Amino acid sequence: MKRGLIAATAVAGMLMSVAACGSSDGSGNGADGFKGQKLTVWVMSGSNPSQWTAQVSKEFHQKTGATVDFKVQQWDGIQQKLTTALSEDSPPDVVEIGNTQTAAYAKAGALLDLGDLKKQIGADWSDSFNKAAMADGKQYALPWYAGNRVVMYNKKIWAKAGIKDLPKTRTELFKAFDTIKKKTDAEPLYLPGQNWYFFDGLTIGTGADLVKKSGGKWVSNLADPKVAKAMDIYKTYQSFSDAPKNKDEATPQQAEVFAKGKTGAIIAMGYEAATAVKANPDIKNDIGFFTIPGETADKPEGVFLGGSNFAVAGGSTKQDLAKEFLKVALSKKNDAQMVKEVGWSPKSPDLASATKGNPAAEAAAPAAAKSGGTTPLIPEWAAVENVPNPIKNYMTAVLSGKTADDAAKAVEPEINKRLAQK
Amino acid sequence: MAVQLDDAVDKRAPRIGKGGAPPSGRATGTRRTRTGRATPYLLLLPALLATAVFLGWPMVRNILLSFQTLNMKELIQHLTVWNGTGNFGEILGGEEFWRVTLRTLVFTAVNVTLIMTLGVLIGLLLARLGKKMRLALSVALVLAWAMPVIAATTVFQWLFDSRYGVVNWVLDQLGWHSMAHYDWVGTQLSTFFVITLLIVWQSLPFVALNLYAATTTIPKELYEAARMDGAGTWKVFTTVTFPFLKPFFLATTFLEVIWVFKAFPQIFAINKGGPDRLTETLPIYAFTEGVGNLHFGMGAAISLLTIAVLLAVTAYYLRLTLKQEEDEL
Amino acid sequence: MKRSLAGRIWPNATAIVLAIGFVFPVYWMFNTAFKPTGDIISDVPVWFPLHGTLQHFATAVGAPDFWTLAGNSVLVTAVAVGLSLLIALCGAFALTRMRFKGRKATLLVFMVAQMAPWEVMVISIYMIVRDADMLNSLVPLTAFYMLMVLPFTLLTLRGYVAAVPKELEESAMVDGCSRRQAFTKVVFPLLAPGLMATSLFGFITAWNEFPLVLVLNKEPAKGTLPLWLSQFQSQFGDDWGATMAAASIFAVPILVLFLFLQRKAVGGLTSGAVKG
Repeated sequence: MKRGLIAATAVAGMLMSVAACGSSDGSGNGADGFKGQKLTVWVMSGSNPSQWTAQVSKEFHQKTGATVDFKVQQWDGIQQKLTTALSEDSPPDVVEIGNTQTAAYAKAGALLDLGDLKKQIGADWSDSFNKAAMADGKQYALPWYAGNRVVMYNKKIWAKAGIKDLPKTRTELFKAFDTIKKKTDAEPLYLPGQNWYFFDGLTIGTGADLVKKSGGKWVSNLADPKVAKAMDIYKTYQSFSDAPKNKDEATPQQAEVFAKGKTGAIIAMGYEAATAVKANPDIKNDIGFFTIPGETADKPEGVFLGGSNFAVAGGSTKQDLAKEFLKVALSKKNDAQMVKEVGWSPKSPDLASATKGNPAAEAAAPAAAKSGGTTPLIPEWAAVENVPNPIKNYMTAVLSGKTADDAAKAVEPEINKRLAQK
Repeated sequence: MAVQLDDAVDKRAPRIGKGGAPPSGRATGTRRTRTGRATPYLLLLPALLATAVFLGWPMVRNILLSFQTLNMKELIQHLTVWNGTGNFGEILGGEEFWRVTLRTLVFTAVNVTLIMTLGVLIGLLLARLGKKMRLALSVALVLAWAMPVIAATTVFQWLFDSRYGVVNWVLDQLGWHSMAHYDWVGTQLSTFFVITLLIVWQSLPFVALNLYAATTTIPKELYEAARMDGAGTWKVFTTVTFPFLKPFFLATTFLEVIWVFKAFPQIFAINKGGPDRLTETLPIYAFTEGVGNLHFGMGAAISLLTIAVLLAVTAYYLRLTLKQEEDEL
Repeated sequence: MKRSLAGRIWPNATAIVLAIGFVFPVYWMFNTAFKPTGDIISDVPVWFPLHGTLQHFATAVGAPDFWTLAGNSVLVTAVAVGLSLLIALCGAFALTRMRFKGRKATLLVFMVAQMAPWEVMVISIYMIVRDADMLNSLVPLTAFYMLMVLPFTLLTLRGYVAAVPKELEESAMVDGCSRRQAFTKVVFPLLAPGLMATSLFGFITAWNEFPLVLVLNKEPAKGTLPLWLSQFQSQFGDDWGATMAAASIFAVPILVLFLFLQRKAVGGLTSGAVKG
């Protein structure tokens, strides 16, 4: 009976939204109906910066007469919490979902189709952002923010090595690392063996697919030569580092290693600079950023666009109001605020100007626009990344001397097993 | 918190006349009425009713789930999909479950042995100490015992932090320089070391304090007699203390087996069962498969198998206790 | 029976080492909580909080809903433990002092109930509570916490009841007391220390519970302290100072309770022993 109820409200919601769409703008006549209502929005801890939140809350109230209640969620146990919440009679109306998780929730029938809304407000969003909000060709979420890795370097060390121009190609970058190695006592690069999202970026750069369809099922494509090529690039990067081959960038936090001032560079998210400064305030003025250079100067290295989408719960009773909220929250102005306030990568070309004054965001922007991508956008993929991530084992194996082919063969059964899980 | 002591008391009881059933029959027999006969059931009713509703019902639900496919989709859309014994087949057919079971048994054995041995030694030490020193050590034990599990695991993570943890610093200062930035949760063995240290640290006070309390119940004459016969410390322990407190040892071991076997927050918080799922014990395995990977039916099936293993492990004690009950009444 | 000097020294020396070992983690928690961040993230450990600061405590207490959650935790824990003591005492009395059919089976039920895998049963419990429309309420939470501690409480109290000499009860009845009067006037006072000792286990269990409250009570104002404690370790790096301050706040009530009750508990045990 409850199931029926949810389905019914979902259908009703869809019908209503279609109707609203048909009548010109929709926001004008809806305003009175929403007055006094309260919309619940779940955001992850650390996602919503204060100015953006204040601005969106105010605009939303002005526009609809309703109030928005941002409920900040802790990361610990979020999956259980979100899954169970979406099964309830009164779920949160709008939820933030990680972009690589969206497909799984969409497939579970938990989210509302937002295709019409995307056409209205997101025509110019870059494809690399939007792809991760889709599942089975439908728009189940709208991209909120995403960021990508850049080279975070120590200006002092680079100056000491006598490097004047920032590298424009991969070859130049490796040459710079080499110079640092020879001319200073610093470690040119700190890159542990399991920085999986950096590796994912490299596979995007070589145009590799990590999975392929075989007999109607998704299976691992790790043995593909393009993957091996990406791994080879990673191996060259890693050869400039003494970092452990069997660790990822969080153990220990690479920014804290960088903060000691004896590391030439790390491949990092812009916000990691704050971690470094917290560990050692003196490092602040030595930190610089540049785009990870690609094979040629005109196209930066492939990068993984990690970020979050907004989705509307299928069981929400306030789906129209939720859409009104998304119109406000994802408006040009507020998107620009996200870029400015946090340093996320710009979602559309005209937001590029908002990165001005945030060097990390400026460095990230070119790659996000030209060569950003994600992990395979299939619901089955999330299981592959669960601890222990077999691809991390693959990386360690290659870095420890195995051939890419052997290493791939060793972990493919586990990947296939996970992809087959229903 | 003194099950063990109570059993010691039980054992003593016959001497103070409890075991002789006649008194009770005499005292109440004449007045025994129908309500009298219903009394034990009435007294037990709240406990049994609560258990049936708040444990029995979820348990039945859990059993039903173990025969279903219940993933994210089914949960969110309130679907019921039966899949027969598919979950059990998959678990018992793979080698993962058996490996985890073996690991859990070894883990439990090691921890319980450490806890019981060291606990007894500390308990005996308490009995030997002077008043002030005994109080000091007792307070220290109580502090460790009372640390909430979540707080304790957090502190241990911090103590063993690879970069700023005080443990690595001390090892480095002691001349073991390779330990300066040692990653304790990087390998299976070192992760288990930290977990074991944490669990033993938390469990020792319970055993030690209660053992000490229990030894005070042993009549002094027994000790004196043994000493007169020229028995050494070890001999006194094996001939007097141990036989007298045997019920204590059995009951405590039983409890520790259950607690260590079921230890969840400690293992989960230290490294989520990692690295590479190599420190997963059965409860963690059930949780990771069920709740973590959103295969709730699978998790339910593993949890049932876990209970089966635990029952097998504790069967000896359960039978013994029930048999004793028979003898006594 | 004079012991040699060495024989007197080593027990004391061992005791000191052990005492330090047991107290150190507790001490380190408080120490870290009071240190400024610069002293926490330091290559050489700072052993004493010389530049003590309350900043981490301010962060911890300043987190949203702290006082509400603290209130909820106290309420839920106290009621759950109180109820389970009451229910368990009745049951323990029946199981220890009376003969009846099904006694052994009942005992077995509670012994097996101690083995319940609560962490995994969270999802079936969740579905029951959800379908009963009781989410975001402290009532089901209290009820399940009560049951988590009930089997242990009952089995433990059984021992304490057995330790009270039956003659006392009987002589009271000979003096004209009813069975109930004999219980409340004679047996219960003797049981008080046992009840206190047993309650410690319940307090710790209910106070610490995390997986169930996480899914049952998603309303921020209906949560308990473990939810609050988990927020200082996050995806964006751990705030050890605030975590330790929060852990300290979280631990203090239990530490105080233990120090207070433990004396009674051990005292009760030993006095019971003397009677034997």
